[in-house]
Amino acid sequence: MAVNTTRNALFENRFWKSAFRGAPPVSKWLRDKIFGLGLINLSLFIILNVTGILLMFYYVPYTDKAYNVIKDFQFVVSFGAIFRNMHRWSAYAMIVLVFLHMSRVFYMAEYREPREFNWVIGWVLFLCTLVGALTGYLLPWDQKAYWGMTIMSNVMASVPVIGEKLKFVVLGGDEIGQSALTRAYDIHVKVMPLIMGLLIALHVIRGRTDDLLAGSQAHGEHKSAPAPEADNGSDTADCAWSDIIKRELAKFLIILIIIMGTSILFGAPLEEEANPSVTPVPAKAPWFFLGLQELLSWGAPFWGAIVVPNAVLLFALLVPYIERGKTGSGVWFHPSRRLQNILFTAFVTVAIGLIIVGALFRGPGWRFYWPWQPWPLH
Amino acid sequence: MAADLFTRRNFLSRVGWLAAFGTFGGLTAASGRYLFPNVLYEPPAEFKIAPPEEYPEGVTFVSAKRIFVIRQQNLIRVVSGVCTHIGCTVRWSEERNRFECPCHGSFFDENGAVTAGPAGKPLPWYGVSVAADGRLIVDEHKIVPFRQALTV
Repeated sequence: MAVNTTRNALFENRFWKSAFRGAPPVSKWLRDKIFGLGLINLSLFIILNVTGILLMFYYVPYTDKAYNVIKDFQFVVSFGAIFRNMHRWSAYAMIVLVFLHMSRVFYMAEYREPREFNWVIGWVLFLCTLVGALTGYLLPWDQKAYWGMTIMSNVMASVPVIGEKLKFVVLGGDEIGQSALTRAYDIHVKVMPLIMGLLIALHVIRGRTDDLLAGSQAHGEHKSAPAPEADNGSDTADCAWSDIIKRELAKFLIILIIIMGTSILFGAPLEEEANPSVTPVPAKAPWFFLGLQELLSWGAPFWGAIVVPNAVLLFALLVPYIERGKTGSGVWFHPSRRLQNILFTAFVTVAIGLIIVGALFRGPGWRFYWPWQPWPLH
Repeated sequence: MAADLFTRRNFLSRVGWLAAFGTFGGLTAASGRYLFPNVLYEPPAEFKIAPPEEYPEGVTFVSAKRIFVIRQQNLIRVVSGVCTHIGCTVRWSEERNRFECPCHGSFFDENGAVTAGPAGKPLPWYGVSVAADGRLIVDEHKIVPFRQALTV
């Protein structure tokens, strides 16, 4: 029997060859991933899209029906609970991992020339992730969805000059009702996935281009193995595309299994149906905005929720253009970047600290409670 | 021909670009205006509640409308139940004689004035009058100053 008969049958026939016409060169970037956080984020994005599409076969964005659909997912639809949980946990995981990915890129200063634009794309993707999570949060139409959106829309209203108009167009009216749900659904289900899909593709392509342009400088400093002579990307000797694909597929499977395990063990939260007359005590925003709510409690929404977060976001956007350092790219915690790394770590600590305070140390009336202190009944 | 003459081709090119930008710009502007609804399918801001006789002395919460109807002998006033910080529904505490917001701990006295917490503005009083059929009409678009209650 000839060797490789199955392999030849699969890969040497006309159909395969017409689809895949010869692999582009494998660059160092593809082989020498650090944690592969970008790949993990892409895996989560795929899981979100697939589970999201499945959920769309049952979900209707009507205020009098949406909540009951979620209940159906939990108890009536086969595997409905698992897919709904997978969707929620993947979303939360993606927010965390996108943030970690950004931190990793910052600590290794991989936003330096010529990669500044890719950092900008990443920044936009981070915002899209948050907008997607926020719009998705409203769709179950339960108490935490309704009051979370109340807080967010009133924060928008405190933007100077355009605030009231902004709230009006986001809600499609003056109150959180059917128009708000329809608009959140549209943005969540179509606008964000479309924009994010395009931007992720651009982000990956741009990353690869930057790597090929910059040669081995950015990635090569910390590698012990010598870089090939002319690294224009054609390293076919030690790494084939099939290896890359197998490794990435294996990683995707691991992420999928972790998300599935979490979804089987832990149910996504759901409170009672939205009730405008009753504000829960305390009413807390989703965890990724709890830090913002903590800032809000210190005074007027304008400062805590508009000025500070937007200043931080703007600064983060301009990091590659503001920073004047020239050394330390591609290395973890390079000594020449001590100031930048300390500042960034301080910022991250404060941001996470605010979320922890909002989650564990705030009770009814947003008063301070130790985590073990019982809240008064009313 | 000299290269810096403004030719027919230049003119048509400019017209073409103008048409392109005009079209895209117009569509963008139209899309922007499109997003602001002209008709709202929401409950009206002016609505009727029960006749004044049905409201007891003191503070009554009308949950369907997020308002408080406050009666002192023959004086009736309607106070908004929406916290002026960021919009949670406040609760009336009989023991402590104040409105309390569960979200960030703003307190308001029985007139709606802020006594504690991050709220900046007092709870507004809505215009209230008596309809021909004897029921109270509340108008959320009419904010009345303090000390102006309805006499029934």
